[in-house]
Amino acid sequence: MAAPQIPHLLSLRGGHGRGRGRGRGGHRFGHHESEEDAAAAKDHVVQATDGDASGSRLSAVELGYMDDPFARAFHYEQDSPRRYPIINRGTYVRTAALDHLVTRFLSAFPSQPKQIISLGAGSDTRWFRLVLADPSLAHRLVYHELDFSTNTSKKIAAMQNRPFVWKVFKDSLPEGVLEKISENGTRLESPSLNVHPVDLRDLAREGIPASEIPTSLPRLPNLDPDVPTLLLSECCLCYVSPEITVSILRTFTTSLIPRRTPLALALYEPIHPHDPFGRVMLRNLATRGIDLPTISTFSSRRLQKSRLEDAGFEGGQGAADVGWIWSKWVEETERERVGQCEGGLDEVEEWDLLAGHYCVAWGWRDGDGGEEESVFWRAWGELDGQEDEVE
Amino acid sequence: MSDLDKAIALLRACRLIPENQVRELCYKARELLIEEGNVVGVDAPVTICGDIHGQFHDLMELFRVGGDVPDTNYLFMGDFVDRGFYSLESFLLLLCLKVRYPDRITLIRGNHESRQITTVYGFYDECLRKYGSANVWRYCCEVFDYLALGALVSGAATNLEPTSATLADTFVDTDDSQSSTPATDYADIDIEVLNANNEILSRYRRRDRDPLMSSSPVRGGMSGSNGAPRAAGAAGTGATADSGGSASNDGGAVLCVHGGLSPLIDTIDKIRLLDRKQEVPHEGAMCDLLWSDPDEIDGWGLSPRGAGFLFGADIVKCFNHRNDLSLIARAHQLVMEGFKEMFDATIVTVWSAPNYCYRCGNVAAILELAEDGSNAGFARSNGDAGRSRGLPMPMPMPMPGIGPGGLQGQGQGQGQGQGGGGLIPRQMDIGHRMAPGRRYRVFEAAPQDSRGMPAKKPVADYFL
Repeated sequence: MAAPQIPHLLSLRGGHGRGRGRGRGGHRFGHHESEEDAAAAKDHVVQATDGDASGSRLSAVELGYMDDPFARAFHYEQDSPRRYPIINRGTYVRTAALDHLVTRFLSAFPSQPKQIISLGAGSDTRWFRLVLADPSLAHRLVYHELDFSTNTSKKIAAMQNRPFVWKVFKDSLPEGVLEKISENGTRLESPSLNVHPVDLRDLAREGIPASEIPTSLPRLPNLDPDVPTLLLSECCLCYVSPEITVSILRTFTTSLIPRRTPLALALYEPIHPHDPFGRVMLRNLATRGIDLPTISTFSSRRLQKSRLEDAGFEGGQGAADVGWIWSKWVEETERERVGQCEGGLDEVEEWDLLAGHYCVAWGWRDGDGGEEESVFWRAWGELDGQEDEVE
Repeated sequence: MSDLDKAIALLRACRLIPENQVRELCYKARELLIEEGNVVGVDAPVTICGDIHGQFHDLMELFRVGGDVPDTNYLFMGDFVDRGFYSLESFLLLLCLKVRYPDRITLIRGNHESRQITTVYGFYDECLRKYGSANVWRYCCEVFDYLALGALVSGAATNLEPTSATLADTFVDTDDSQSSTPATDYADIDIEVLNANNEILSRYRRRDRDPLMSSSPVRGGMSGSNGAPRAAGAAGTGATADSGGSASNDGGAVLCVHGGLSPLIDTIDKIRLLDRKQEVPHEGAMCDLLWSDPDEIDGWGLSPRGAGFLFGADIVKCFNHRNDLSLIARAHQLVMEGFKEMFDATIVTVWSAPNYCYRCGNVAAILELAEDGSNAGFARSNGDAGRSRGLPMPMPMPMPGIGPGGLQGQGQGQGQGQGGGGLIPRQMDIGHRMAPGRRYRVFEAAPQDSRGMPAKKPVADYFL
């Protein structure tokens, strides 16, 4: 079981120095007298959440909830964590929901070149799963993963160390084209998959002291400003302040991907922090040193949608919580199959609580083409979302 | 100090007893439980508790709020183990108390008292981790097989006994015309809700039926939680609970069972006829009793849990009428307010694991049923002939086979309603027995760090 771990991160409590924490891998974890060290320690905690995600994914895969031949390769610990059924089902729904949005995007005008930018991708396996299922996809999809360098170097090393993973990647490259890996192993560049070592806060122009704004944006090789682009943020943008989140998104919607180009964002974040479950959730995460600075601002499905609209995704927005997605998006046969994975789910009431506190939200802009040519309108325009909360 | 008292002292301190003692304890417990019928007779006064789920420190809080064993007569409706980090300490303590004070504590089986479920939800792993082998898990599972499937509480007063409790600042009385004092006449008080500090939070009179429990009666940690608790109520129900009495003055018995009813069981006698000494089956009457849930439906429905059934108000009212019951008390479902009455107070869910799984943010409750003075000494023939009236007299370690249940037999159910089911109630909405007065004590999770307990704070999983 995963649960019986004693939190060894308690010592991190109270490190509220919100310095920029320009962690470039050189920070030592454990003693943090200075504010900079405290910020680095916090960054470390956020970086380490990737292990939670990969562990949950491996648990769900090993128990038959979902199929992912890459789950083991990208879980960097030796253990095989086993999560409770409620967490496994949640992992399944989270993955299925984002896959659903991604698949609909890729299937709209299928021959059109497309781009996906995954923020805080960490150990995510989505690109590998997509390309394994349809190798031809690699020729019309440019995929970018952004994360802290500590996470990107682990990912690239894991790719290189697993022959079958490496082969999937190599097979995705056009004849005679070689990938480029930086000397320190933190950056991968290729026409198909790119892994960029980026502290997302370096993309923010506001919400931070002017003196700390880098003069130039981080380098994102192979980023194409002209193809329809989907931004993914699975529990990523919730770890920085609302101002910085807004600013990071503005950099994408205005500078990196100009307004003429169709652009969308699909995100997965916790919501409803103010009810009893939500309050305990924040308290429990705080004991692990994890803050969720945006959750009070984007605290509901309704506010998540309006946040997307405010960020320039004016073509349309939708949102649904995990419980709703489970009952509305997941096919009945699939619900039955998943429901039986561990001999049924006894945590029915708890599931309703937990699943009501995680939300998938999506929004898009059409770009210059207008609605009828809009890839996102075609992909998501008729997608069913959940009604807003009654507040 | 006997070995058993030493074991109790150790376990109360949240420390484990050696494996050989566990083995002996389980053996003695089995000797005791084997003598109990499938439906144990229990006399009021009794304090009825729902799921514990290994939340040891909260079990200690429950004893603080409800009174200690043997001073208080307890009935635990199962799910002692799984989910929490101290299933062993919790279950072994309850088992020790059962062996030490067999007349003062009743344990019935929950759906988690099962080999299959405990391998998924944590108890098996906890046994391996704490004892290094599966032996203790095996001993405990053998005890599980002997736990009764239900209990029948008789002699509960229709009126609440006055308490010395004071009114909480937030006290809510449904009768505005009266000045609210603690010494108010209890004659028509149907429900009283108290907090962990013995302060009365709210009180509901038998006469006024409507507003009552429809808004969360529980204050404290719950206030301002705008609807979230309700969303967490019984699966698929948005029901507001309300307490409705009836015209009858005659109190009926209270059936306690972990989950609920079964389409295969229309009389309590049929529960008595089951062969319970086995692993919980995947289907059938025994499974249903431990897995089913009440729901706002007509008749029977499929359960989202994949075992047991959903059952509606008509089923409950019919069953209660046929079996001369005033109330069914059950556990099994997390309710944010700690308890939830449904179907005109014919069934109540009691949940006793606060902040369930260290994550859910709910409060817990226990249900106290007082003794009906007028019924004193009246022996009900529900199989409890040998059961003492709950004198707080601790028994020494009983010899195997000479437990208090020595005379209990199965199948002495002639006093229970109309027996084998010839009689169909003419009308569902009349004639059900007046529910006993219910005193709920609501409590929050124990502050682990401050109690001198070895507090290993568990980590709840979230998606990150």
